[in-house]
Amino acid sequence: MDPAETRHSLPSKGPGSLRFLLDRGAHSLFLACALVVVALIAGILVFLSMRGLAAFLPLASNTGRVLSLREVFLSADWAPSSDRFGILSFVAGSLSVTGLALLVAAPSGILTAVFVTLLAPGWMKALMRQVMDLLVGIPSVVYGIFGLTFLLPLVSSKWLHDSPASGFLVAASILTVMIVPTIVSLSMDAFEALPKTLDEGALALGSTRWQSIWRVLIPAARPRLMTAVVLGMGRAIGEAMAVQMVIGNNPAWLSLVREATDRAPLMRFLFTPAATLTTELVQELPNTPAGSPWNNVLFAMGLLLYLMTMGIILATRRLGQRGSA
Amino acid sequence: MKLKSTFLKAAALAFAGIAAQAQTVSVMGSTALGPIVKRAAEEFMKLHPGLNIAVSGGGSMTGLNQVVAGGCTIGISDIYATPDQDKAGIKNHNIVVQPFTLITHPGVGVKSLSAQQAEFVFTGKISNWKEVGGKDLKIVRVIRPESSGTRAVQKKEILHGQEFSKDVLIQDSTGAVVTSVATTPGAVSFVELEHLEKNKGKVAGIAYNGVECSNEAVKKGKYPIFSFGHAYTNPAKTTDAATKKAADEFVAYLLSKEFQDGSVLKAGYLPVSYVKSLKTDL
Repeated sequence: MDPAETRHSLPSKGPGSLRFLLDRGAHSLFLACALVVVALIAGILVFLSMRGLAAFLPLASNTGRVLSLREVFLSADWAPSSDRFGILSFVAGSLSVTGLALLVAAPSGILTAVFVTLLAPGWMKALMRQVMDLLVGIPSVVYGIFGLTFLLPLVSSKWLHDSPASGFLVAASILTVMIVPTIVSLSMDAFEALPKTLDEGALALGSTRWQSIWRVLIPAARPRLMTAVVLGMGRAIGEAMAVQMVIGNNPAWLSLVREATDRAPLMRFLFTPAATLTTELVQELPNTPAGSPWNNVLFAMGLLLYLMTMGIILATRRLGQRGSA
Repeated sequence: MKLKSTFLKAAALAFAGIAAQAQTVSVMGSTALGPIVKRAAEEFMKLHPGLNIAVSGGGSMTGLNQVVAGGCTIGISDIYATPDQDKAGIKNHNIVVQPFTLITHPGVGVKSLSAQQAEFVFTGKISNWKEVGGKDLKIVRVIRPESSGTRAVQKKEILHGQEFSKDVLIQDSTGAVVTSVATTPGAVSFVELEHLEKNKGKVAGIAYNGVECSNEAVKKGKYPIFSFGHAYTNPAKTTDAATKKAADEFVAYLLSKEFQDGSVLKAGYLPVSYVKSLKTDL
């Protein structure tokens, strides 16, 4: 129906009129949706806090002993069946694998977006956008199976003389493939949102194509580029399934890397079976008795992950705002 | 055709059940035991048209947690309940016997390990296959996560309670363990016998103390590594008399000769009666 016609067919103005009611109704509906989302996020935080903090407090939901913050957050000694609950190796694992993935994904994602939006012909831009959207939609377990059945054996036989390839490198490679499309997609939006006048002005002042991109367009898009990277990072740090299948899940990885002497330190770091917060959660959470210190500490790990992600997002917001001001 | 008639029968049963206000017994827990208990439920419901047995997954610990809390009538589990859970007054029924075997990547050059060698392989005292008569190849230990029932069996039976070596690769499910072992040279692991049988070409079975794992060997008492599948009931939390009666009847059916010698054997488990000396702590 023609919009003009719609406007005429409704009685206009005044409280009690159909249009007024529709407006109010729609307003409340949208408000309700927004509130539900906020409530969900807050609800998850409350739930995680209740279960996670129970490990450190003598609550009814804690059937075991009360742990000290120190023995959980400042220790890497994880042996829950023997009453040792240090989670440092998981935190270090999550940061390492996410960092490694970002190291490759952030520059390559942003540069891909530069090329596609600023240099490539139009048809390629359309094609790339479709490919990126397609890649974002692939379920993570598919990446995991690919890694487990193809990538691990390949790396192991080609480069490691048949010793196992599980560890940060393969996990980070898979994460890279998973987050590059997110970063490219959002970076493309960032460049497309820039006013044409910036580019034109720079060129008119005599800068080369390269100078315009490097000195003008990328700095101008920086806040949104950072958001793109952070969202990719959020996906990487929260990914459980794909990482879990290839990383080797060894909670003792820190001491293994430190103590072993069989190869160069960097190689040991890249190819020692390791574990992250998410992989440990996905493996142990369903199998631990509710209310036990073990179970509570796992929830505390979930809470930590939540707070870390929140912290990163908020910090980047701040940085982004300062950059654009 | 057969499928269709089964489906129709199931639909008819379901309808009859609703019509008769079916007494529902909820069963929850181990995904490994799920299929065999579901099979039992189907057979049982055919014999008792007024009763409905609903089987769902969630994992052994979920089953135990739920039966303690009264969230389900029967909790099925690969592992024994924790002492705390036992204190809640739940009652254990061993329903099947599950044999376990050592498996390796096919190329390690070892066919059998003594009890001590197997222990040393997993505690880390031995780290190369040549030390047990195989190739010069690093041993890659693939094990399950700490909360896994299989790992508990392995720790008790193979490692005699000692800690695993730190140098291990951990996989979440038996399927992932088998894939890892099949694709990693030098890998060794510990799985239910049925998983070896299903993957005969990809992984190799290792005899324990010279005895290959088989149903026959367990039955004759020659092969010592197995665990029980458990069904736990909670008499204190099952207050409804009709539900209680139905649950007791279902457990009795699980333990009946008819089911034990029929579907249990067919599914690759062993009847509980095969195992003469009952091990009580695993």
